[in-house]
Amino acid sequence: MNVAKLLEKRRVDWTELERLCEAMELRGRTDSVSVHHRGAAGVARFSTLYRAACADLALADAYQLPPNTVTYLHRLVARAHNQLYRTTSASPSGWFRILFEDAPQRIFNDGCVRVATLVFFGLFALSMVMGASEDQFPEFAERFCGSAMLEATEESFQKPLAADPDSYTARAAFYIQHNTGIGLQCFAYGILLIPCLFTLAYNAVVLGATFGYMSREGVEGSENFFEFVTAHGPFELTAIALSAGAGMRIGMGLFNTRGLSRVDSVREAGRQAVPVMAASAVMFILAAFTEGFLSPSAAPYLVKVAWSIMSSGLITLYFVILGFPKQKSEGTSLVRTARYADLRETRIAAVGGSDAT
Amino acid sequence: MGSLSFMRESLAEVFGARFLRPRIQVGGSSRLRHVADAGDNGGVSGNPLFRLSIICMAAVQPLDTTIGVVTPENIAFEYQLAGPFRRLPAYLIDFAVRWVVIIGIGIAFLFFGGMMSFVSSFYGPLTEAVIVIAVFLITWFYGTIGEAYFNGRTVGKWMCGIRVIEVDGRPVSPRSALLRNLLRVADMAPVAAFNTWDPDVPPIYMIPTGIVGLVSMMMTQRMQRLGDLAAGTMVVVDERKWQLPIAKVDDARVPALASYIPGDYLITRKMARTLATYVERRHFLTPPRRREVARNLADPLIERFSFRSDIDPDLLLYALYYKTFLADSLTDPADLGPLAGYSPLAKDMGKPVGLAMPVAEQGGTPNQFADPLQSSVPNLLGVPAGGSHAPSRIAANKKADETTGGGG
Repeated sequence: MNVAKLLEKRRVDWTELERLCEAMELRGRTDSVSVHHRGAAGVARFSTLYRAACADLALADAYQLPPNTVTYLHRLVARAHNQLYRTTSASPSGWFRILFEDAPQRIFNDGCVRVATLVFFGLFALSMVMGASEDQFPEFAERFCGSAMLEATEESFQKPLAADPDSYTARAAFYIQHNTGIGLQCFAYGILLIPCLFTLAYNAVVLGATFGYMSREGVEGSENFFEFVTAHGPFELTAIALSAGAGMRIGMGLFNTRGLSRVDSVREAGRQAVPVMAASAVMFILAAFTEGFLSPSAAPYLVKVAWSIMSSGLITLYFVILGFPKQKSEGTSLVRTARYADLRETRIAAVGGSDAT
Repeated sequence: MGSLSFMRESLAEVFGARFLRPRIQVGGSSRLRHVADAGDNGGVSGNPLFRLSIICMAAVQPLDTTIGVVTPENIAFEYQLAGPFRRLPAYLIDFAVRWVVIIGIGIAFLFFGGMMSFVSSFYGPLTEAVIVIAVFLITWFYGTIGEAYFNGRTVGKWMCGIRVIEVDGRPVSPRSALLRNLLRVADMAPVAAFNTWDPDVPPIYMIPTGIVGLVSMMMTQRMQRLGDLAAGTMVVVDERKWQLPIAKVDDARVPALASYIPGDYLITRKMARTLATYVERRHFLTPPRRREVARNLADPLIERFSFRSDIDPDLLLYALYYKTFLADSLTDPADLGPLAGYSPLAKDMGKPVGLAMPVAEQGGTPNQFADPLQSSVPNLLGVPAGGSHAPSRIAANKKADETTGGGG
């Protein structure tokens, strides 16, 4: 067989496929190649040429094509494959399902989230108590947070809260950037477990010690401080615990494989962690808007408390109502016990049901 | 699959060679010979032990970074994995692009805010907010957005010719892109502080070293960093431009010699592959090296075709390639032109020819296809004869002459 002639014949198609690929890579459509490649005709032509190139590659051995030509075909097919099977962009309904179905289910069942929550709120409460009791742990808060920072905090809350409404957006933006950044970092370090736990514990202890210090008697501005933190507290503290829990899920997947291969285990854990992280990011953003718009405002304390209670209630509903295990996930074992009468009834019902339809 | 069928064929040959034609071959053959032997069931038979070693080599996965992908069309094509040294420049380019975009947005909005501040004082803080949000989004989600919307590529990846795909060969999903880009922070760990070099600077841990990711890439088969492992993705080389290679025959002697190759010589699949590999690469070799490589395969063929022993081995393989891949039809007589009447066959060595060709003093036909280093006769095509600059080569040739001369 004359390979050169065969190649010349096929080369026309291959060149056309390459031109189509080029147009797809640049613009995502084949319209620019020629008049015959507009719209559906272009798509049809592309897939025809792609299948032809696939057939050529499959027959390369039978045609006795030279190795370089086979390499060329491998690349051509790979390139066309990449354009034909493109990334499907995320749909809004997909994100809705992640946030309102997958995430609460995961959070409710996830051991890592529980551990992260316990670590965070436990250390937070402990260091708040230690920071508050000046007699028993005199230097605790100062040692941890640095007296300069504590004094600056104290100073900034001397005046009643009445930030300039113009600065609200800038504040919200800063909190989104700063706090969500910490949350995402905590999540990313979760795959290494230790840095994640460290970040989580560090934030818990510093926040707790500040709270404790501000609640000491004789500290000026403590009322303003607690008024400030009330509104956004529930969202923000929950969010950081969640992001650490999601990160630790991946880390646990790496170390505790549960019978899977290590790579598969990490992939599975990563798949499970994304919804939790998404929920955490949403909470961070809600917290940032609260912190930017409501917390520093001169709104009455009652409004802030009401918002705080409402947000806590929403979080609880989200976790418990949406997160309560669904019926289908209960039956983990295929073997179960049942009374003979029940079995008969269900069988009759099933037979009757099928008859009815 | 390919290696499996190859193994089956080769095993059959091994046992065939062992039980049907037990012949011992003296060693000193190169790999080219081995591969050709393994496929050439008619001609020379190799040492069974040598063959076994080839089979083992073929069965083992190749020691390179190629990865196969099976498409829904049931075609397996190959990708080359991208290692750290292709991915680092892409990351650096992305880093630069990120900051250029941030600074661009910053300048644009500062300008916009400055213009609008004449209208209302509200635009100052708004500008600030937009810039801060932009910095946040671009720092954390640049890679995700790029990979999710541009088919697994960011600007840096596009410039370095690499692409992210899922480990099963599908394009990367937005979820995987998000996960692998968020986890980059962990891959960049541990971070070094500035005060490692300058003790006066306060300890700000800012400089990522990327050792975690590098170690992870070295330890995994698909060169994945931790983010890739968690997201189930890999980075492959995705070259944009290439040429379809076709070896062209520009030597007039090749078709002539090809016409003398007996029609009953059947070229096996592996022999064809070996020939194609040789001809595609011979341009990178010097003529003496070509002859040295080709001799291993050509000597048995010369014997089999009963050609003159001083035929240029390189030319013979080239002619065989021409006959296999490029000749129009086996029945068409080749247009010999001025070379008509010359014969490479050993039995024609003594024949006089009546054309206007200079006949050598010895009375034999000058060999147009001769190995210029071996032939002492000046030839028509001006290939330089002799080779006084390579004494060792001449010694080797003399030896070869002695051994092959008896047979011819």
